[in-house]
Amino acid sequence: MKGVRAFVCGTGIVSAAGGGVEATWDALRQGTSRLTPLALFPAAHTPPLPVGEVRDAPEVDGLPRTHALAWAAAREALAATALIPDALVLGSTTGGMPTTERLLEAGERRPEAYRHHAVGSVAAWLARRLSCRGPVITVSTACSSGTAALKIALELIRCGQARVVLAGGADALCRMTYYGFHALQLIDPEGARPLDRDRRGLSVAEGAAFVLLVAAESPPAGALAELAGAGWSCDAYHPAAPRPDGTGALAAMRAALADAGMTAAALDYINLHGTGTPDNDLAEARAVRTLCGDPPPPVSSLKGLFGHTLGASGAIEAVVSALGIHHGFIPGNCGCRIPDPALGLVPELTGQSRPVRSVLSNSFGFGGNNASLVLTAPRSAAAACAPRLPARFSVLGAACLTGAGPLEETLARYWRGEPFPGRPDLAAVRTEIPAGQLRRLKRLSRMVLLLALAARQAARTAAAPGGIFFGTAWGSLTETHDFLKKLFDSGERFTSPTDFVGSVHNAPASQAAIFLEATGANVTVSGGDQSFEQALYTAGLVLRAGDPPALVIGAEEHHDVLSPCFDAAATADGGGAFLLDPRGGGTGPDLAPVHFAFNPGGDDGLPALIESLGGAERLRGRFGAVFAGLPAGDRSGGEALLERFRRETALSAPCIDYRRLTGEFAGASAVAAVLAVETVRRGALPPALAGGKDPRLEGRGILLLGLGECIAAVEVSAP
Amino acid sequence: MEGFIAELKDKIIETLGLTDVRPEDIPVDGQLIGSELGLDSIDVLELVMMIEKDYGVKIENREAGVKVFASLRALAAYIDANRREKDR
Repeated sequence: MKGVRAFVCGTGIVSAAGGGVEATWDALRQGTSRLTPLALFPAAHTPPLPVGEVRDAPEVDGLPRTHALAWAAAREALAATALIPDALVLGSTTGGMPTTERLLEAGERRPEAYRHHAVGSVAAWLARRLSCRGPVITVSTACSSGTAALKIALELIRCGQARVVLAGGADALCRMTYYGFHALQLIDPEGARPLDRDRRGLSVAEGAAFVLLVAAESPPAGALAELAGAGWSCDAYHPAAPRPDGTGALAAMRAALADAGMTAAALDYINLHGTGTPDNDLAEARAVRTLCGDPPPPVSSLKGLFGHTLGASGAIEAVVSALGIHHGFIPGNCGCRIPDPALGLVPELTGQSRPVRSVLSNSFGFGGNNASLVLTAPRSAAAACAPRLPARFSVLGAACLTGAGPLEETLARYWRGEPFPGRPDLAAVRTEIPAGQLRRLKRLSRMVLLLALAARQAARTAAAPGGIFFGTAWGSLTETHDFLKKLFDSGERFTSPTDFVGSVHNAPASQAAIFLEATGANVTVSGGDQSFEQALYTAGLVLRAGDPPALVIGAEEHHDVLSPCFDAAATADGGGAFLLDPRGGGTGPDLAPVHFAFNPGGDDGLPALIESLGGAERLRGRFGAVFAGLPAGDRSGGEALLERFRRETALSAPCIDYRRLTGEFAGASAVAAVLAVETVRRGALPPALAGGKDPRLEGRGILLLGLGECIAAVEVSAP
Repeated sequence: MEGFIAELKDKIIETLGLTDVRPEDIPVDGQLIGSELGLDSIDVLELVMMIEKDYGVKIENREAGVKVFASLRALAAYIDANRREKDR
C-alpha cells in the first residue's frame, strides 16, 4: 500500500555559530565553542555569563528579535525552492518577549506597542510574509518546542492536511530567560560542558531553524533526509526537574523509534538533549543506556557549541542531524573534557566523518515535556504510513469556568439566554486541591487544574488521561508579570525562580499532568483567539483510535496590568475542557476539528472552509445552529465573513454570537464548545437565543466557527 | 538565635506561600527540604533569593545550598555568621 512520507527538502538556521547552513557546517567541522560573554544587554551580574548570542543578528523593522531570527532561518529554508508552504509549525517560548520586557519596564501601556508580543505572533507574521493559508500552529512546550513542532508537522503530512510544511523553532535571548535560568542556578559560569564530570549547568542561547518538509511517496530530488518518526511523553513528575530515572525521556525515545518503525539497534547516532545541567545529563544517560544497551551508538550534545537555544534547539539539532546524514558526519560534544564516569555514557569528543543513515534527536523541557525524533537518509524503499484522517472524538466529559462559575451555574444562565461575562471566582480550588500543591500555582494554572479535574469527574472516571492538549493565547500572565516586576524593581538583582518556571506557556498543562499522572503527549499550543481550536485540531492530528482518552483544554487568565496591553478588548476570563475518547462511538456528542487555516484579514478562506465541511448542501442538512466566534480585535471583519458564509451556503439555521454571552477573552471558544456539546445533548437551543427561529436541532449538530486570524471549524454532532 | 529562627519561620511561610503551615509546624533541627512540608529544589532557590535580598547573604550554588539548608538552625547560623562578617 502506498503511503505518505515526509522528506527534508530545505533547511535554514541561525545561531551563535553564525547565519546560514554553511556557517553552521563550518562551526560543526571546527567543533569549537561559540559561547561568549553576554553582550546583547547589560548584565547586572559581574562578569556577564557565557551565552550563545547571534552576532550581527538580522533586523526587521519594528519586529522583536525572535521574529527576525525566525525570518532569517525561514528564508534560507525556502531559498532553493519555488514551493509555498501550505502549513507552518513553529516551536517558541519567548515570542515577542525581548521587546515586551523593555516596553513594560519603560511603562509603555499602548496595546499597539505589544502587537508582536504573543508567542503565536512569530508564526503568524511568517505565514503572512509567506502567503501561507493553511494550518499555522505554534507549539510552546519549553525546551522541547522545536522537536514537538516537527512531530506536529509530520502528523499534518500523514493526515493529508498539508503537502509542504515549514517547521522549526525560534527563540531570542532576553532578560526573562537569562535571569530566569540564573535564578534556578542552572547556568554554568564557565559555559556549558555537557556530560563533563565538572559540568554545572547550561548556557542560555538564541537562534532559529527550519526544515522544509515535503510529502512524497519516494524521495524527491534534493531531499537531504527523511523525518521517519517522532514521539513524545510527559514525565508528570516535577515542574522543572527531569524524572531522575530517565523513564520519561526513555518513553519519548521509544515512541519516536516505534513511530519510525525502527529499533535502537539501527541508530548510527544519538543527538542528545545534553543541556549540561547535572540532572538532565544524568537522567538522559540512564535513558539512553536502557534504550540501547552496551555499547550504545555514538552520542553527542551540541549545547556546548551553540548553547541552549530553548524552543529553537530541537529544530537546530534536526538541521544539524540532517547535515550529518547528508555529509556523513557526527558532531563532537564541544565543552566536555573529562566525561563523567557516573553517566556511563561517553560522548564523541570530536567530530567524526563516517556514514550516518539514522539519527535519534532528543529534546526535553520544563514540565517534563519530552520529545524525540528520528531522521534517516532518504530511503528509496521504506515503510510509509497509510494516509489517515484526523480523529473524531467522543465527548466523555466536559467542564467550563466562566463569569457565572462552573458548568452548572453557567448552563443555568445559558438556558435562560442570559450572558455570563466576567471572571470566575476560583475559591473552589481550595477544596479540590491540597494547599501544599496549590501554593505555587497562580491563576491560569489553577483554572486549568480545576477544568481538568471537573472534565474527568464529569466523565465519571478516575483514570489518568493519556495526554493533555492545551491552548492558550497569552499563557501565565500573573507569573510573567510578577517575575518581571521583581526583576525590574530590584535593579535586575532578584527574581523568583518559582515564577520563572510558572511563566512558561506549558506550565499549566504540565501541572495538570503531574496532578493527574498523565504521562502521554503533553502539548501546549498558542494562536490568539483560536488557541482552543488549535489544541483540538492538534489533538485530532496526533491521536489515533487506539489511544486512551485525552484532555483538551482552552483557558485564559485576565491580568489587570498585562491584559490591557496584550489583548485590550479582554475583560473576562475562564475556559473549557473536555475528556475525549479518540475511538469515537461513545454516548456523548462527537467533536471533530474539521478545519483550521490561517486567514488574516481576508476572505479567500471561505471556499476551503466550505469544502472541509463537505459542501453547502451537506452542511445545511447537518447543522441546526452555528456558534460564531467573532473576536473584538476585528469584529466587523468576522461579521462580514460570517454573513458571506451564510449567504454562500444558504444556511438559515440560528446563529449564536457567543462572545456576547461569554464576554471577551481568548479562551471564549473553549466555553462555546462546551455549551455546544450541552446543547446537542439537550437537542435544542435556549429559545431566547434562537433569534425567533425554531430552537430544536432535530438530530442535527452545531457548527462552531472561529473567525479571527484563523478560520477554525469544529463539528459538534449527536453520536 | 531563637528570635532569629522565629523570624525566619515567618519569612519562609510568606516567601513560599505556605498558607496551611503554622510556624510551630516547621522543624528547627529536623530536615527542612523533602520533609512533610513538601519543600523542594525550587523552594530552596526561592529562599536563596529572599536571603540575599533581605539579609545580603549569598548562597552561590547547589552544593553550598545542600549544607546550608540541612536544617532551619543550620540556615539561621549560616545567615547570622555571614551577615556579621559582612557588617564588620
